[in-house]
Amino acid sequence: MSFPVMLSELSEGMLKSVGIFVLTLIFSLPLGLVVAFGRMSKNKIVSGIIGFLISILRGTPLMLQLLVVYFFPYYLFGWSIGGWRFPAIIVGFSINYAAYFAEIYRSGIEAIPKGQHEAAQILGYTKVQTFFRIILPQVIKIILPAITNEIITLVKDTSLAFSLSYMEMFTIAKQIAAANTTFMPFVVSAVFYYVFNFVVAFVMRRMEKRMAYY
Amino acid sequence: MKKFGKRLLCGLLTVACAATLLTGCGEKKKSTFTVGFDAEYPPYGYMDENGEYTGFDLELAEEVCKLQGWDLVKQPIAWDSKDNELNSGSIDCIWNGFTINGRENDYTWSVPYVDNSQVIVVNDKSGIKDFAGLAGKTVGVQAASAALEVLEGDQKDLTSTFGKLQEFGDYNTAFVELEAGSVDAIAMDIGVAQYQIESRGGGYSILDEHLNAEQYGVGFKLGNEELRNKVNTSLKELKKNGKFDELAEKYGLSDMTCLSE
Repeated sequence: MSFPVMLSELSEGMLKSVGIFVLTLIFSLPLGLVVAFGRMSKNKIVSGIIGFLISILRGTPLMLQLLVVYFFPYYLFGWSIGGWRFPAIIVGFSINYAAYFAEIYRSGIEAIPKGQHEAAQILGYTKVQTFFRIILPQVIKIILPAITNEIITLVKDTSLAFSLSYMEMFTIAKQIAAANTTFMPFVVSAVFYYVFNFVVAFVMRRMEKRMAYY
Repeated sequence: MKKFGKRLLCGLLTVACAATLLTGCGEKKKSTFTVGFDAEYPPYGYMDENGEYTGFDLELAEEVCKLQGWDLVKQPIAWDSKDNELNSGSIDCIWNGFTINGRENDYTWSVPYVDNSQVIVVNDKSGIKDFAGLAGKTVGVQAASAALEVLEGDQKDLTSTFGKLQEFGDYNTAFVELEAGSVDAIAMDIGVAQYQIESRGGGYSILDEHLNAEQYGVGFKLGNEELRNKVNTSLKELKKNGKFDELAEKYGLSDMTCLSE
């Protein structure tokens, strides 16, 4: 296989990896916030259940979770899972990352001194207003570096989609390597991942700088 | 409460409708034929120069589909998940240099079409000439492969003489390890071995002694005889009209075919 063909095949795979990346972020970032609220709920049952789910999601391999999400509709209910492959990947990634993001959000929210809540209450803010106008902007500032860490990990984790036979970039690299008995595609894929993560890190740094208003 | 009940009913109906639509699609899809294969398994299934999936087995499947009027869908799969993919209906069959022996009762099989052997490949520099030379050495074998089954079954006396049995994911990595000296020999299918050695420009040999003799077939979900019979009919027709032998020749497998009219 010629080098340009290899590059175009790998780029096509990279698009699919980026697809997983973007969709996972879109779903898991808000979902993580909801989960974080559940985790911090005053209701012991709710916080207990959420805490248990988080510990399962963080305590088992993502690859295993992907297999479970994809195949269980069939094994449990006998449903046909044609066309479920890509949605299953997004669902699997999103709930897994939501669990991590939830704990990051919690760390940020709990870092805000209680006095701010009390002050806001005296000034007549409702709880919702307090959270979105006063707490959340500070939380985002605090948690950005931790979020960046997770996002960079996510870029590399997209390669786990191979376990559901999804043709993302690294799977294609392995196939090209097998057919041509060479390691070259792995070198190229390393460069692809690095460049992508370089961009991610750059964007996140810019965001951190914009947030450094005090 | 009544209102809620109505809404719930509405919701359920919508879901039911959607489900009907989806299954409706599923039935229409009967004219497609989804082949599951390991895309890292040349010459049976792999990615060609132009990034298209091809190989002896896939071209054969293509010809069968032409005869049956089906649309071929080539679905590369993770080899470890092949049973899940097949049982759940994501693929119609496993067609990928798939060894029948030892798996007779696990799948509904087509007629065998290739005579295969599991062999041992060594680096020429290692000086290993026969099975006796493997004593105390590290031997590599693909996880979940037929070669591994043989080494753990019929040939387990031989395996017990090895220093270590090292499982790996794909042959490309295994050959690099062989070249680098971290494994001394690799157990694999003869067709794959020939392809690997040829495309690497030699330097490796296949030991004269073979681990076993076995046959390849197309594996269908247990009990799916209807589809199996259709494929069998087409395979025999391809043998009759010469297309099968033509493909075998193209992929250098002529000596190994065993399909009869």
